[in-house]
Amino acid sequence: MSKPAAQAKPRKTFLQWCKSMRGQQIICTVTFLAVPLLLLFTFTYLPFFKMVEFSFFDMRYIGRREFVGLDNYIDVFTRDDCFQALKLSLYYMVGSVVQMAIALLFATILSFHVRGSKFFRGALYFPCLICGIAVGFIFKFFFTHGFVLDTLLSWVGFDVESLPYWLRDESINNIVLVACSVWKYVGQNIVMFIGAIASVDSTLYEAAEIDGANAWHRFKDIILPSIRTIVVLNLIISVSGALSAFEMPYVVTGGGFGTSTYFVIMDKLAHVDQKVGLASAMAIVLLALIMVVTFVQKRAEKWLDERDSRTPKAVVKADPNTAAQASSARPAHAE
Amino acid sequence: MPSNAAIRAKNITINILKYVLLIFSAFVALVPIVSLVNTAFKTEEEYANTNVMTLPENWLNFDNFITAWQQADMGRAFLNSFIILVCVLTGSVMISSMLAYVLNRFKFPGNGLIRNAFMIATLIPGIAAQVTVYQIMTSLHLVNSMPGYIILMMGTDVITIYIFLQFFENLSVSLDESAILDGCTYFGVFFKILLPLLKPAIVTSAILKGVGTYNEYYMANLYLQDKTKYQVVSTSLYVFSGPMGSQYNYICAGVIITIIPALIVFLLCQDQIYSGMAAGAVKG
Amino acid sequence: MKKALALTLAAALSASLLAGCGGSGSSTSTAAGGGDAATAEQTGLPAYNELTVGEDYTDLTANIKFISHRTDLIEDGTFDGYVAAFNELYPNITISYEGITDYAGDMTTRLTSQDWGDICMIPTTIPLPEIGDYFYAMCDLSAIEADYNFADNRAYDGKVYGIPSTGNAQGIVYNKAVFEAAGITELPKTPTEFLDALQAIKDNTDAIPLYTNYAAGWTMSAWDAYIGGGATGDAEWMNITMPQTHDAFAAGVPTGDTESGPYAVYNILYEAVKRGLTEDDPTTTDWEGSKPMINNGEIGTMVLGSWAIVQMQDAGENADDIGYMPFPISVDGTQYASSGADYCYGINEYSSDDNKIASMLYIKWLTESSNFSYDQGGIPILKSQEYPETLAAFDGIELVADTAAPTELSDLGANVQRDAELMLNSDQTHVMRIVEAAINGDETLDDIVADWNEAWNAAVDENAPAA
Repeated sequence: MSKPAAQAKPRKTFLQWCKSMRGQQIICTVTFLAVPLLLLFTFTYLPFFKMVEFSFFDMRYIGRREFVGLDNYIDVFTRDDCFQALKLSLYYMVGSVVQMAIALLFATILSFHVRGSKFFRGALYFPCLICGIAVGFIFKFFFTHGFVLDTLLSWVGFDVESLPYWLRDESINNIVLVACSVWKYVGQNIVMFIGAIASVDSTLYEAAEIDGANAWHRFKDIILPSIRTIVVLNLIISVSGALSAFEMPYVVTGGGFGTSTYFVIMDKLAHVDQKVGLASAMAIVLLALIMVVTFVQKRAEKWLDERDSRTPKAVVKADPNTAAQASSARPAHAE
Repeated sequence: MPSNAAIRAKNITINILKYVLLIFSAFVALVPIVSLVNTAFKTEEEYANTNVMTLPENWLNFDNFITAWQQADMGRAFLNSFIILVCVLTGSVMISSMLAYVLNRFKFPGNGLIRNAFMIATLIPGIAAQVTVYQIMTSLHLVNSMPGYIILMMGTDVITIYIFLQFFENLSVSLDESAILDGCTYFGVFFKILLPLLKPAIVTSAILKGVGTYNEYYMANLYLQDKTKYQVVSTSLYVFSGPMGSQYNYICAGVIITIIPALIVFLLCQDQIYSGMAAGAVKG
Repeated sequence: MKKALALTLAAALSASLLAGCGGSGSSTSTAAGGGDAATAEQTGLPAYNELTVGEDYTDLTANIKFISHRTDLIEDGTFDGYVAAFNELYPNITISYEGITDYAGDMTTRLTSQDWGDICMIPTTIPLPEIGDYFYAMCDLSAIEADYNFADNRAYDGKVYGIPSTGNAQGIVYNKAVFEAAGITELPKTPTEFLDALQAIKDNTDAIPLYTNYAAGWTMSAWDAYIGGGATGDAEWMNITMPQTHDAFAAGVPTGDTESGPYAVYNILYEAVKRGLTEDDPTTTDWEGSKPMINNGEIGTMVLGSWAIVQMQDAGENADDIGYMPFPISVDGTQYASSGADYCYGINEYSSDDNKIASMLYIKWLTESSNFSYDQGGIPILKSQEYPETLAAFDGIELVADTAAPTELSDLGANVQRDAELMLNSDQTHVMRIVEAAINGDETLDDIVADWNEAWNAAVDENAPAA
C-alpha cells in the first residue's frame, strides 16, 4: 500500500490518503477500471487464451482430444487453400479504403448545412438496419439474371443479355461481394465520422473562413487532424475486417465460385469438419498477421506525423485573437 | 482574383454536384430493398407464382404484417429488445466513458498497456472464439437468461470506448482543473462537468451500439434459448424459417416492421448530434 | 483497499478460469469404449422394449423438454396434436417443444452443457463411441432390431442410444407431365439413360431438366446420400468397406463398372451441368421458388430425399404430377435404392429417472402410434407398418439400408471423412466444386476425384484398424 509522504508530515493515515488528490485519483482509477477490465478479460482474453490452447490439439468441439504440438500451424502454412484465401482479402482491403473515403466524404458533406440532410443520412444509414436474415434474400434477388440490378442497368442502356452472371463469374464476383459489404456498412462509418466531426471546435471553422480557407483546406487541416483517433481506429478495424471478411461471402454465395475467404474456410474446418484445433491455429495466424499490419500502419502514421510537424500548416488551432490579427494582415493570395 | 460571378458559378456547380451525389447515393442505398418491399405485400400464392420483380397486386395488403406480428410474437420481442437495449446502452456508455476518462486524464503505470489491450481486443475476430465463450457462459450459469445476455453484450464492445477517448481528447483539461480548484473530487468532475459535455459522443455510440445490439442475432439465438420468453426482435423472425424452407412473404413484412422503429429512433437521435455539436463546441 | 480489490478480482478471475476448464474437462475424462453410460438394468429403470405404452406408468408425473429441428411442425401445430393425443394416455406428463433453425451447429454447442433438456434429435456430429457421454442407453439392440427398421443407426456396443424418427428413401423427385411431354416412357435405370432423358426434356420442352438448387447449399451435400448401398448394391460399403478402401471415388470403384459406385453418382451431376442440362446460374437458384416451379412443370427433376415429395406436391395445384423415382444406377442389372434413418430421438443422459421413463414412453408412442413417418412420406420405423403411396415407384426395387459398423469400427467412417475433410452428408463445398468445375471448365471430374482420393487414401492409412 502506498502511503506517499505529504509536504510536511512524515506519514498520513489511510483516510487522509484517501482524501488526498493522489489517493483520490487512484481510487477513481481503480473503481472506473474494474468492470471494463473484468469484462474484457472474461469475454475477450479468456476465450482467446483457450483458443490458443486449442490450437495445439487435434480436437472436436466435444469429446476427446490429442496433443499435436505445432502440427496445426505447419498445416496452415502448407495447405494451398488457406493462403490463397488471403489473396481475396486484398479485394476487401481495397474495399475498406474505398469505404472509408466514401464515409469521410459524406460525413463531411452532411456535417454542414445541406438541405434534407436528415433524409440523406437516414437513407445512407438504412442498409445497416437490415438484419441478417434478409441480407442473403435481398442480394440473391438483386443479382439474379434479369432481376433488380439487370433491370436498372437496362434502363441506363445496357443490353440485358450481355450482362454477366454477377455471382458466378469469377472475374467479378469478389468485387461484387466487396461492393455489397461496402453498401451495408458504410452508413456506420458515416455516423461515426459525423459524430467525431461534431466534436471539433466550431470556432476553428470561423477562424479558417476568415483566413480564406476553402472546403478542401478545411477538411484537410481542421477536420482530419481533429478526428484522427477515430479515423485511425477505423482504418485498423477495416484492415482486420478485410482479413476476416466472412458475412457477405458466406451468406450470399456460401463461398462458392472462388469467393471463399480465409474465415469461410476456417468456419468450414471448425463446424463441418470439426477440426477445431486447426481452425484455432488459423485464427491465431490471422491475428498475428493483423497485428503485423496494424503495427506497420501505426509506424507509417508516426512517420507521417513527424513529417507533418516539420511543415507549417495553413490553419491550425487558431484562437480568436490570432485569427483577428491574421485577418488584418491577410496575404494577398487567392484560395 | 476571380470575379464574384465566377466564384458564385463555382459555388453553384459544387452545390449541384453535391446534391447529385447525395441523391444518387441515396438511390443506391435504397434500391436493393426493392425485392424486400415487393415481397412483403404479396399473398402466399402471389409469392409462389410470381418472382420478386413483379409488383404486388395490392399495395395495401397488410395481412403479412399482421401475421408476422402475431405469429412471431413481435410485441414481446420488441419489449425484450427494448429492455436489453436500455440496459446494454446505459451500461456500455457508463463503462466506456469512465474508462476513457481514466485513460485520458490520469497518468499511471499501465495506462498505455491497457489502451493497447483494448486495441488488440478489437483485432481478435469475434466469431473465432464463440464456442469458448459459450463454455464460459455456461459455467457462469449465464446461459438462457436476460442478465447473462446483457452482460455479454456489454463485454464485447470496443468502438464505444474509442469514441469516448476521441471526445475526451477534444475536451480541454482546463475544465477539469477549474472544477478541482473549486473543490470538486475527481468523481464529481466526471459526473457533473464532463459527462454532460459528452452528449454527442453518447448519442453516436448509442446509435452504433444500439443498432448493433438490436440486429445482433447470432448470440441472441445461442444464449436466449427459450424463445417463448426471451424472443428478441432479431430472432423473432426465425419462426418463419423452417428446415424445409422459409416463408419469405412473412419474413419480409417482419423485417420491414423491425426496420421502421430503428429508423425513426435514428432520425430523431440525429437532432441530438446537431445540438450537441453546437453546445459542446462553444465551451471548447 | 486496493489490495482487497485486487484479491477479489483475482478470486473472481480464477473462479471463472477453473469453471471454464471444468466445462471442457468433463468431456475428456471418459474412458475409451463409451460403455460408461448406465444401462437400464444397472439403474433399475425399465428398458425401452419392456415398456408398454398406455399401460405402464400411467400416473407418472414429469415435465419434458423436447428440442427438434422441425420448426415448421412446431409452428403449424402438428406436434401439439401429438402431445395432446399422448396426454390422453399420460395426463401428467407435460411436454414442451423447442425448435432450433440452424439445428446441427446449435444443438452440438448446447450439448456441451448438461441441462439442455430431455429429448432431442441426435446431431450426427457426435462420434458413436462418445454417444454414451451425452445420451442414455435405452435398451439393447438385440431387443428391437427385429421390429424396427434402421435400429442400428445410433447404436453402439450393442446398446441403442437413438430411436429413428422416420426413414428416407433416396431417389429423385420428377414431374410426370414433363417426362411425358419429353417422350420419356420408361424411368431411366442407369446414368446414361438418365442423362439422355434430361437431354430429351431440354430438346422437347421448356422445362429445366435438372435444377440443382446450388445456392441453398445443403442441396449439394444431399448428393452424398446416394453413394452408399444404392450405388453399389452393398450394404456394408458406406460404413465399413469404403473407409478402408483406397481410391474410393475413382471410376469403377467398387463394382468394376463405371456406371455405378460413388463416381457414377457425382458424374451425373458433372455431366448434367457440363451439357447445359441444369439452370444457367447456380449462384442465384431459389429453393422456395423451385417448389412451385416443379409443380408447374417448369422443372423436370430435382435430386432430393423422399421427405421432399410432400412439399413439392403441396406447392401448387398439380400434386398428381409429382413422382418419385429411384436413383438411376443399376448394378449388374439390378436397381437398388439407399434407405436410411432420418434424425434419431435421443434422451439426455443427465435427465432425472422419471424424465427418462417419460421420455421413453413418448418416443415409443411417437414411433409406433403417431403415424409420423407415414404422414411425412417416409419409410416407417415399425417394420409392420405400411409404406406411403409416394414410394410406389420403389416397388420391386431393392431397398438397401447401410449397415452400421461393428463396435470396433464404429467411428472409422467419421474419422476418415474428417481427416480427409470430406464430411459426407454435411459438407457442401466438395459437391459445389463439381458444379463450379463443370461451369468454368477448369477441372474435370477426374481431376477433382484425384484430389479427393489423395486425401482419402492418407486418411484411410492413418485410421486403418490394427490388423
